[in-house]
Amino acid sequence: MSWAIEVNNLNVWYGDKHILKDVTFKVPKNIIFAIMGPSGCGKSTLLRAMNRLLDLNPYARVEGQVKINGIDVYSDNIDITWVRRQFGMVFQIPNPFPHLSIYENVALGPKVNGLVKDKSELDRLVKRALEQAYLWDEVKNDLKKPASMLSGGQQQRLCIARALALKPKIILMDEPTANLDPVASSKIEELMLELKEEYTIIIVTHNPQQAARISDYVAFLYMGELIEIGETSMVFTRPKHELTEKYVVGRMG
Amino acid sequence: MNKRKIIEKLMLGVISTLAVISAIPIFAIMFNVYAEGLKHVNLSFLIDLPPPPVGDRVGGIGPALVGTFTLVSLAMVIGGAIGFFTGLYLSEFSHTKLSQYTQMFLQIMVEFPTIIIGLFAYTILVAPIKRFNALAGGFALSIVIIPYIALNVREAYKSIPYTLKEAAFSLGVSAPVAYLRILLSTARRGVLTALLIGMAKVAGETAPLLFTILGTTFTYFGGLDQPINAIPLLIYNFALSPYERWHQVAWGAAAVLLTIILLIFIVSRLIVKEVKL
Repeated sequence: MSWAIEVNNLNVWYGDKHILKDVTFKVPKNIIFAIMGPSGCGKSTLLRAMNRLLDLNPYARVEGQVKINGIDVYSDNIDITWVRRQFGMVFQIPNPFPHLSIYENVALGPKVNGLVKDKSELDRLVKRALEQAYLWDEVKNDLKKPASMLSGGQQQRLCIARALALKPKIILMDEPTANLDPVASSKIEELMLELKEEYTIIIVTHNPQQAARISDYVAFLYMGELIEIGETSMVFTRPKHELTEKYVVGRMG
Repeated sequence: MNKRKIIEKLMLGVISTLAVISAIPIFAIMFNVYAEGLKHVNLSFLIDLPPPPVGDRVGGIGPALVGTFTLVSLAMVIGGAIGFFTGLYLSEFSHTKLSQYTQMFLQIMVEFPTIIIGLFAYTILVAPIKRFNALAGGFALSIVIIPYIALNVREAYKSIPYTLKEAAFSLGVSAPVAYLRILLSTARRGVLTALLIGMAKVAGETAPLLFTILGTTFTYFGGLDQPINAIPLLIYNFALSPYERWHQVAWGAAAVLLTIILLIFIVSRLIVKEVKL
């Protein structure tokens, strides 16, 4: 079986603080893989360790391997920008670039990375990304308007379109619905189920119900340690570990 | 009304009055300068050579205006560029010792007497070639401007939310593209304001020019290695002269200088639209 991503003995420290402890797991392709756990367990850090966004934090130190297609993103001589382009990332707070138009928010990534030859190709790419994010019909007449005019849920779908426009292999989502109302959240969840046909999605959530609803595989992270991992149906019905059981039945925050 | 409310009203009245008083000088100065100077300003005043001390020729401040533009351009090119990148470094590498020390030194430099900066420029760029020159003036003004721009650019970049920085880097771009192409436009208001305020600051500087550009030249522009004039220095020289005609030119020049600086401030307020974050 070929894996979308393999994480081997990953350790992360912020200064002296040991955030992730010997985390090891594999993610199959074209599934939704949820990483759940209480606040502060290291979920977001784990996500950022995968696409090396953690490098932005000068106090973070990483040991271990993260492999995509067999290539360790932490090997020497690796081009970090290449690593980041393998992933599309969606963040907890919808963060479109506020000074750019809706169109430009999506077009920016392909443009600065030289993914397109000309304007018409860029137009097609932007349209396709917005369609994939279920946003095209809502914004097709407002492409020149600033992204800040969109609602929170629309902004988040715009951020998904921005991530898709890079033609990534894997989409990383860091609690993408944490700041959205239930209607906007369910739209994003539907969208994810659609997107897994083409992409591998890794989502971080502190909400076990969300993990149960949408994911195929789930990992439970607690205080920096990977407690349990498996098919979602198994983990939720027959958890092997006591901590997991406590968490999924809602007896742990 | 009880006693507490009366005291509150009274105190509010006092500090409001003080606030108004603190704004009086700017209006008094503007009124003074424009009342005395504006009547001498017209197109030929901006273009012509200064008049001889006596005689009928009205004259103007052409060379000084050219000089001020030359010097401010030099300062913006040298000091603006260094200041901008220093500010970017201070903001994005604030965890490094180098950044922390640099910031400390820049904060001291902001308060440096500018006349000392002029003396420094004199010793390294005037004394060796034995001639006052435009480059020395531009160099001195660059040193004046660097800490202003660096510290303000630092603030501008610091104000960008971390989540937008993550968004920029998550697109798989190099640091220069992220900082200069994507995030710069997010911080453009702060950065442009920093540059404009720096520009206004050096456009009006006199002390760093006293030892560097000479200032009494009657030619428009002879090259960067030649003496040059500047409006503030012209005001200083002409106002101290015994000739009534030169006093008038100095007042006119003051009105022009004040207008330039007010324009820079107005531009920095109006044209640079705020980015809503």
